Amino acid sequence: MMENKSNGNGQKEWQPKIVAFFCNWCTYTAADSAGVSRIKYAPNIRIIRVMCSGRVDPQFILDSFAKGADGVLIGGCHPGDCHYQEGNYKCLRRFRLLQRVINSFGIEPERLRLEWISASEADRVRVVVNEMVNQVKALGPLALPQKYEELKKEIEHHPVTSEIKEE
Amino acid sequence: MIADLEEIKGVTLETIYETSEGKLILTCIQCGTCVGTCPHGEYMKYPPRRIIEMLLHGLADKVSDTDSMLKCVNCYACMAKCPRGIHLTEVLLQLIKEQTILKLPTLPAELQKALENSYRYGNPMGESGRKRANWVATSKYPVRILSQNPGPVDVLWFVESYPAYYPRGQDTCRAIAKIFNRLEIDFAILGNEERSAGECGLLAWETGLAEALIDYNISILGKYTFNKIVTSDPHALDAFNYRYRMYGFKKPVYHIIPFLMPYYDKLKSMLTRPLNYSVTYHDSCCLGRHNGFFDEPRALLNAIPGIKLVEMFHHRINSICCGGGGGGMWLDTYFKSQNMERLSDIRIREAIATGADILAVGCPYEIPRFEDALKVAGYENKMVVKDIVELLSESMED
Amino acid sequence: MTNQGNNKDIRIGFYICHCGTNIASTVDVQKVVEFASKLPKVVVSRDYKYMCSDPGQELIQKDIKELGLNRIVVAACSPFLHEKTFRNASSQAGLNQFYFQMVNTREQNSWVHLDPYASTEKAIDLVRAAIYRVVYHKPLEQKRVPIHPDVLVVGGGIAGIHAALTLANAGKKVYLVEREPSIGGHMAMFDKTFPTLDCAACILTPKMTAVKNHPNITLWTYSEVIGVDGYVGNFKVKVRRKPRYINEDLCIGCLDCIEACVYKEGRFYDEFNLGLSKRKPVYIPFPQAVPLLVVIDPETCIQFKSGKCKQTCVEVCEPNAIDFTQKERIEEIEVGTIIIATGFQTFDPKKIPYYGYGTYPNVYTALEVERLINASGPTQGQIVLRDGTRPKSIAIIHCVGSRDKNTNQWCSRVCCLYSIKLAHLLKERTEAEIYNFYIDIRTPGKMMDEFFIRMKEEGIKFIRGRVADIYPDTSNGCCGKLVVKAEDTLVGEIIKVPVDMVVLSIGLEPRADAQEIRRMFNITCSTEGFYIERHPKLAPVNTFTDGIFLAGCCQGPKDIPDTVAQAGAAAAEALTLIDTGYIEIEPNTAFVLEDDCSGCKSCIPLCPYTAISFLEDKKKAFINEVLCKGCGTCVAACPSGSIVQNLFEDEEIFSEIVGVLNYTYHEEEV
Repeated sequence: MMENKSNGNGQKEWQPKIVAFFCNWCTYTAADSAGVSRIKYAPNIRIIRVMCSGRVDPQFILDSFAKGADGVLIGGCHPGDCHYQEGNYKCLRRFRLLQRVINSFGIEPERLRLEWISASEADRVRVVVNEMVNQVKALGPLALPQKYEELKKEIEHHPVTSEIKEE
Repeated sequence: MIADLEEIKGVTLETIYETSEGKLILTCIQCGTCVGTCPHGEYMKYPPRRIIEMLLHGLADKVSDTDSMLKCVNCYACMAKCPRGIHLTEVLLQLIKEQTILKLPTLPAELQKALENSYRYGNPMGESGRKRANWVATSKYPVRILSQNPGPVDVLWFVESYPAYYPRGQDTCRAIAKIFNRLEIDFAILGNEERSAGECGLLAWETGLAEALIDYNISILGKYTFNKIVTSDPHALDAFNYRYRMYGFKKPVYHIIPFLMPYYDKLKSMLTRPLNYSVTYHDSCCLGRHNGFFDEPRALLNAIPGIKLVEMFHHRINSICCGGGGGGMWLDTYFKSQNMERLSDIRIREAIATGADILAVGCPYEIPRFEDALKVAGYENKMVVKDIVELLSESMED
Repeated sequence: MTNQGNNKDIRIGFYICHCGTNIASTVDVQKVVEFASKLPKVVVSRDYKYMCSDPGQELIQKDIKELGLNRIVVAACSPFLHEKTFRNASSQAGLNQFYFQMVNTREQNSWVHLDPYASTEKAIDLVRAAIYRVVYHKPLEQKRVPIHPDVLVVGGGIAGIHAALTLANAGKKVYLVEREPSIGGHMAMFDKTFPTLDCAACILTPKMTAVKNHPNITLWTYSEVIGVDGYVGNFKVKVRRKPRYINEDLCIGCLDCIEACVYKEGRFYDEFNLGLSKRKPVYIPFPQAVPLLVVIDPETCIQFKSGKCKQTCVEVCEPNAIDFTQKERIEEIEVGTIIIATGFQTFDPKKIPYYGYGTYPNVYTALEVERLINASGPTQGQIVLRDGTRPKSIAIIHCVGSRDKNTNQWCSRVCCLYSIKLAHLLKERTEAEIYNFYIDIRTPGKMMDEFFIRMKEEGIKFIRGRVADIYPDTSNGCCGKLVVKAEDTLVGEIIKVPVDMVVLSIGLEPRADAQEIRRMFNITCSTEGFYIERHPKLAPVNTFTDGIFLAGCCQGPKDIPDTVAQAGAAAAEALTLIDTGYIEIEPNTAFVLEDDCSGCKSCIPLCPYTAISFLEDKKKAFINEVLCKGCGTCVAACPSGSIVQNLFEDEEIFSEIVGVLNYTYHEEEV
């Protein structure tokens, strides 16, 4: 588990986990190119490849948070550069909406980030990932699965709800 | 082209590789542009390119054993042209200078005196601090002094030592007082409370002196309420913008020339007296190469009716230093003892070659240096040195 | 896991590649193997030094056969590199190739992280995701797209010419589109070429003529591609043909009209000679121009400017070819493949003010000097300065606009050698003293360093130092010379060399409109503007867009031999597609689950390819598989979740999310 990384002093430093959805043509390629250039960045990111940022279903993002992601990063082509003409605009529209939605769920909007990174911007991958990791570190763990767990227990042991259940 | 101030704060030769600047130094391709463009490169045993290679080979000590860096006049030419973007003047050369000064058995007397004066009197000339605001009495236009009238003010005009004490500098002060009044700018000066900002080049040489001046000025500035600082000295501008910032100073600081640009239309409408001169403009190193203000001084000169602007061979980014920066102001005797030709003498020949009547400048060091150089060239009756603010004020009918 | 019971018969094989030490030195391969072996449905978990090698692939194939594997996961490099390899290997062993999933463990893991612990953790998460995902993979068939046999070549420099001829000689029909009035590109401007010193025109003009005469080549000069639609095999291209105001079919290239023009002398900037000579409003760019057709420049022609010209050109033209009313034409063509060979532009040395270009008349660019040296150039090959005198000393300054953070950071690769060549030619013609100011002399390639050494023997001086300043010599008895100031870094002295002529060896940079061209063709380019090849080593002329190939300097600075080699390679890639007749593309298209579709039509306007239509009878959406490009935008938008994208099904991605987050379901949720 990432959460238990030792920081050398024998103490465990919490490490956030960030799920990233990168489009095949720009950002995923940029991430590959960062590798070829041996650019180093924080290891907290887990990249899932999609063909286009337009494929990123809002459910993917909500599901990622619900299943324990501390942050979600979406990477697509720059406006006007989409391999599929305008999938990135569609993504942007959903992103704006989603930021509001997650905020109303009590998830800080900073935990969700959309970045346009073209295939040539390998170093931008480093900058964005590092920034995001630091930002999420500062916010602390989101830990929705644990919170749900607690909530469930609370509901089960709540005098009113448990009564209803028993009935 | 400005180094990241956060990165270089407190850097030493030992820790330089931990900064982004150190990583740039590692990319040096030893092309020699810095040496070729250095106005004193020919006189340095270790010019910038070799300093970098010596540093990379762990031999920086050998460099500071020589007087090479004493000859650096902080003109930013090496830094401006470096194809690797290394901030030589801002970082590495300063660190070597500091070591050089520490190791010198005796500091050149003139420089020693200037440093002592700055420490004791708050100005390098050794003038009394109580006479700093004396020029105000000679100004036809009112100048508010904060110690006497401490209310809030928009523009705090940091006069600096040369303009405050030196007679030709006081001419520029009166010109600025006139321009500020005519433009209805709410301004005031610190008066006798002001002390030399401690020009940035000098600061690194004498960290102790620098800190004393910085602490002093920051505490005095802290007494008053103002929005911004304006100064006519590009060296003070750099001191505030690149050194004071490291000590927590946050207010915006402008040089008078770029500061006047937003008032261009209003100013131009007041410039009614034609000055039928041919003018050549000398780009100050700090103002031009370091801060990128090349167009603004020319725009102001062109706003004056009758003025015809001609350029020297070396202008804008390729301007040649007057030799006054980085302590050069107080090293003329030392440089002469090393058989080095004065840069102001070289520069004035180019100015003369343009056939201009006026050499316009934007830095208070340049007036005495070029007036002296004109005398040496036997040309004092054919060309005059004027600050741009003087020309603006002259063209402004009372 | 969900649906565990349904997948009893799934047998997964997991393999992780060491990639020598590329992966294994950062990722604890043994730990990953051990981890994967414990995951459900994993039958075998192995590691191997090089999975992509034959023995590596055989390992997978043997396991498929012997252990009855029906899903394969390989953790190795990027799928861009070897996904195909492993899919093929699986397919050869009898498995549907899409039962395969790859984990990017090198480019996006071991190469970008330093901490082995974190790297291994990351590898484990991603392996878990892939193993969960592969369970949902479906057997798919690759889509076959037919390839239209015609080819479009964009740019008529040596790269485009060579590619077009190669294809035409192989019997393919080629459209060659060139923006300028003549083909030939930069090479036509050169005098001699390094290191052989053979004349550029002698080797180029026969190829230019061959293009003109080739029955398989349709040559459109003075034309630009303005629109590209479609995809590999079936591109629809729009070409704008600018009016020359000359009827191409009637003009016989006699050039009488130029002679007859009311302007007795050339008065206007001559593009081909870079302004070193003047041309008339009616002109040909250079004597060997192909096609040999005159052009009338409406910007300078009196007839266009005032309508009051005597039209002496019209009078003299026997075939009546001049047509002032000519309009631009838009041609629409269909091609299966495209070769981009749009070349480069030279660096504008005015961006380095201290080199004095544009200020001091005797500062020239290297390309201007090529024209001066050229026998058919503005001075008929005489090396004379703008005041007509012959230079006795010449400085050649290398790396102008190359290797410089303030301008262009890259090495332009050809400048060292062309500078050495120019030094030789200038010395030969003028016997002047020649000083080469360089940072590093770079002469890789066959016979290149030998050429350099030979030139040293000729007495050309080489000074190691980047020039810091150029200014007029004002010393006593001043002579109009320019002083070149630099540090001779090998001697450790600052030198000031007075010379009569300065030659700036300007670098190569992408064309100013590289970004627009890139957008039009849907290919990628680096931040500076050179087009990016699919793989720097293994797919150097391919782009990320199938069916579009690169040749020449639009991909990066290179010399003529490399350009020609690349053009040949691009032609060969196009030929491969054409002769195969079809291309297999990823079956990542989307389809509608009719039973679930509510007929809300939200997906229809989202599709950029108008692949979705509405079946009025059934009140359901329908996706035309042929038109679908597989972006998945409609899938993400469908409110009822009734659109599925092959290879990127919702379940596949959800299981990846579960995998990377190591989420465990609680019983009541299943």
